[in-house]
Amino acid sequence: MDNKTFEHLCVLSKLSFDDESAETTRRQLDGIIALMDKVKAIDLTYDDTLDKNEVPFASLRADKAEEPFSPERLLSNTQPKNDCYVIPKMMNVE
Amino acid sequence: MELTKLSIKSMREKLVSREITSAELLASFSERKDEYFAYVTQTSDLAVESAQVADLRIAAGENAPLLGIPGAVKDNICTDGIKTTCASKMLADFIPPYDADVVQRLKQSGYVLTGKTNMDEFAMGSSSQTSVFGGVKNPYDVTRVPGGSSGGSAAVVAARLAPFALGSDTGGSIRQPASFCGVTGIKPTYGRVSRYGLVAFASSLDQIGVFTKTAADSAEVLNVISGYDKRDATSANVPTPDFTSYLNRDVRGLRIALPDEYFGDTVGDDVRTAVLNAAKYFEESGATLVPCSMKVFDYAVSAYYLLACAEAASNLSRFDGVKYGLRGEGATYEQRIVDSRNKGFGAEVKRRILLGNYALSSGYYDAYYRKAQALRQEIIKEYNDVFTKADIILTPTAPEPAFKIGSSENDPIKMFLADICTVMANIAYLPGINTTCGYTDDGLPIGMSLIGKRFDEGGIIGAADFFERNFRRKDIP
Amino acid sequence: MWSTMLKPTIGLEIHAELLTQSKVFCTCPASFGGSENSRCCPVCSGLPGTLPVLNQKAVEFIIRAGMATECDISLFTKWDRKNYFYPDLPKAYQISQMPRPVCLNGKVRLKSGKVIRINRIHLEEDAGKLTHEGGATLADYNRCGIPLIELVTEPDFASAEEVTEFVAEIRARYMYCGISDGKMEQGSLRVDVNISLADEHADTLGTRSEIKNLNSLRSIARAIEYETHRQGEILGKGGKVTQETLRFSDGTGETSSLRSKEDAHDYRYFPDPDIPPVLITEEEIAVIRGTMPEMPSSRYDRYVNKCGIPHKDAENIVADKHLSDFFDEAATLLDEPRKIANYLLSELLYRINLGEGTTDNLPFTPADFVRVIELVEGGKVSRSHLKDILREMLATGSKPDSICEQNNYLIKEDLSLVSDTIDKILAENVAAVAQLKNGEQKVFGFLMGKANSLLKGAATPKIIKETLEKKLK
Repeated sequence: MDNKTFEHLCVLSKLSFDDESAETTRRQLDGIIALMDKVKAIDLTYDDTLDKNEVPFASLRADKAEEPFSPERLLSNTQPKNDCYVIPKMMNVE
Repeated sequence: MELTKLSIKSMREKLVSREITSAELLASFSERKDEYFAYVTQTSDLAVESAQVADLRIAAGENAPLLGIPGAVKDNICTDGIKTTCASKMLADFIPPYDADVVQRLKQSGYVLTGKTNMDEFAMGSSSQTSVFGGVKNPYDVTRVPGGSSGGSAAVVAARLAPFALGSDTGGSIRQPASFCGVTGIKPTYGRVSRYGLVAFASSLDQIGVFTKTAADSAEVLNVISGYDKRDATSANVPTPDFTSYLNRDVRGLRIALPDEYFGDTVGDDVRTAVLNAAKYFEESGATLVPCSMKVFDYAVSAYYLLACAEAASNLSRFDGVKYGLRGEGATYEQRIVDSRNKGFGAEVKRRILLGNYALSSGYYDAYYRKAQALRQEIIKEYNDVFTKADIILTPTAPEPAFKIGSSENDPIKMFLADICTVMANIAYLPGINTTCGYTDDGLPIGMSLIGKRFDEGGIIGAADFFERNFRRKDIP
Repeated sequence: MWSTMLKPTIGLEIHAELLTQSKVFCTCPASFGGSENSRCCPVCSGLPGTLPVLNQKAVEFIIRAGMATECDISLFTKWDRKNYFYPDLPKAYQISQMPRPVCLNGKVRLKSGKVIRINRIHLEEDAGKLTHEGGATLADYNRCGIPLIELVTEPDFASAEEVTEFVAEIRARYMYCGISDGKMEQGSLRVDVNISLADEHADTLGTRSEIKNLNSLRSIARAIEYETHRQGEILGKGGKVTQETLRFSDGTGETSSLRSKEDAHDYRYFPDPDIPPVLITEEEIAVIRGTMPEMPSSRYDRYVNKCGIPHKDAENIVADKHLSDFFDEAATLLDEPRKIANYLLSELLYRINLGEGTTDNLPFTPADFVRVIELVEGGKVSRSHLKDILREMLATGSKPDSICEQNNYLIKEDLSLVSDTIDKILAENVAAVAQLKNGEQKVFGFLMGKANSLLKGAATPKIIKETLEKKLK
């Protein structure tokens, strides 16, 4: 895996590594991907209509609103402000 | 009387007849010390309280299936007001404001929660050593791993710290630790038990199941936690049979398939011998052994990790240090989120997130993720073929018995390959049960797996129960 | 001149929130507003372990949207995860639809006859609301999980006029099927515009830019005009347009670059394993089709061609489904569609526009309204009382007959009183009568005025006039 691909994966994963651990992680990923590459050897095509895990429209949830949670309970694992989640300064927003 | 060795059924009988109280029963388990790091959180005070409440309800003539029975819950299953950490730094302080569906059902049935069990971080691993709180030890040999990811639950039952424990199984995370710890572990059919409240690792593979001393006990607990849940769209709207009705049967006429691939070089000699001996015993008892072949076996681990990691990468994106969980540092949102994830996740979790994003990212999707989906269809097809000739499938649960702590859990590829015997059942949504079929010369348990047709937990519980009634287990003192 | 050679090509994405009771993947109320995070649960807040469960009504509503725009309705449909990090998206993925949307291949015909092709309509979840306050940003998830449908057109538009006509038409159709409140100013219907410029003879499209989240027809038109001009100037100078996402400011009337949601632009769509695909049967589709109302364009045709209503009036009635429904019901009671249209627009809508009521909540029935028309047209009530009657009906919902009775509006047609009163007027105005007989016709108006004011409510002006004329012969 080249550096650019690894960097791209880090951006997608919202993770970062220092130089040393980046190198180790990349090597480990290379090894794992070599194992994953096995799937390339088999000639199969995927057809999603054959999964047979669909549910009928009639079985879907009926549209009925229920009592929501209190903000106090919902936000009990963070330090809210005005019942809102607090997000640090965002770059390039109004 | 050694209360901890009783079956759940006899515990209930003694509770109902007032021969013992729930408080006494709880005490007999809690007197035994957790020397294995099996629990992340022990809810001792709450347990004493719940046991007292259970005793009052029993005295009032109430009868619920697990009323007064202690039990543990894996720490990736949400418990209202009780820390649910997934053994991760990310959720070390997370207290869910809701119960998982299984926890609600257990509460309604009157169970007594003993604690939340230790595990591999976010259920990613086969050793229970990636827990941020420290690895779990195998009660049969504390220098060895208990298996994983539900190693804490397996150890709790093996060490008789509780008569049952819930676990979750994504690629073998119940059956493999059950085999390493010499207990019975069942992963039900995907959809049999609601996943609502189970912190997702890989949503299409995850399934909550049960650890118990015996298949008979697992039937009691499975009866309680099974059933349709309108909050989980993948839970199956099918009736729950009484699983205890499958107990105490024989195996005459039962057709048992032995796929060649599971008995090749990938498994160790003592494992192969023990499982084949069990097969022979079934045959002598009137079952028919059906040789068969599953050609997709060689691709299963790769397909499994592609599917599981892709789903995991997406499922674990919500941990951003804002709504809950570890709050990293950084002046901007972008810095905060990366710092929270860098600090909150361990190495194995990070590797799987990276791998999952690789399999899904543009340019790689068709070669990896889509191919894995195609393999999934192929694996299901091969199982369907086998099930035209056989009622259940018998395989080893793991290639080797419990390995030494520190020996291979840091080699990611070796760890992936160790799941080879268990992942196919998850890929095909099938139920599987592990029960002990032998011991190594060192006294380590060896497990075998029975795989059933979709929603035929009864069939595999019945076969496992038959075997257990005729096999002598070596209990932990 | 560049402007004569470059022509714009425009495509749209129209997002509309659906009027369901509950959210699309959880049971929280889907209504607009509410205090911060008061319409949320662990599911829409993205807490760990929670799972989405699809709302049947939301699926029915997108099917209605598809039927309103002549789309093919898919019998097999799936939901996918669109993965990106943004603090208004608590799960860090939006549940949307990629390869198997509910609706495909629709079309809408503009008044000019030009057909705009619709590529797809899919059902997804809305995101939360962020407010930026000082150094920090606050996230409110009330809007998270409100069902949202996204309609994507082919790049078939050539002008701002075509675009605004289309958006107004889609908005009207959605409101007609009862799936959207169409409130653009509240953001329940928002439009993204893709626009590129190319030589009118070129066979490839130019580089496009995308203007996000326009929430009025006026902003859409202004943004398109500004962006056409901006790109034209760049190309005219031999420059290159950059492919980017823009925002339009109503204040400055200009577009500016918006930072992209995911710096990597790699959404890693994959089927959401928590939501099984849905199978819809032909029978279910037929049942939904049976409940579809007549679309505004077809009502417009009917009003103009069958009812003989002037184009502009037909347009005005159709523009408001409540008004149009009201009209249709009234027209079944009184076979005078043009008269009804006239009373509806110049009398009733006039009062409504003055703020005396709203069309979606009229306190009286079309039958009551028809009764008013009959009273006036039948000479039972003076036309001069019409506005008072309508005003009171809008305010109280009272029946027209009782309003007229209580207020003495009914013309009694007391012919002897008319005769006596006119005799008296003629006697008191001998000079005027003499002038009239000398040929001074304007004096008739003076006498009519006297009679009218004294006979108000006693008879119609027509009877007064006839009696006066007879007596003057």
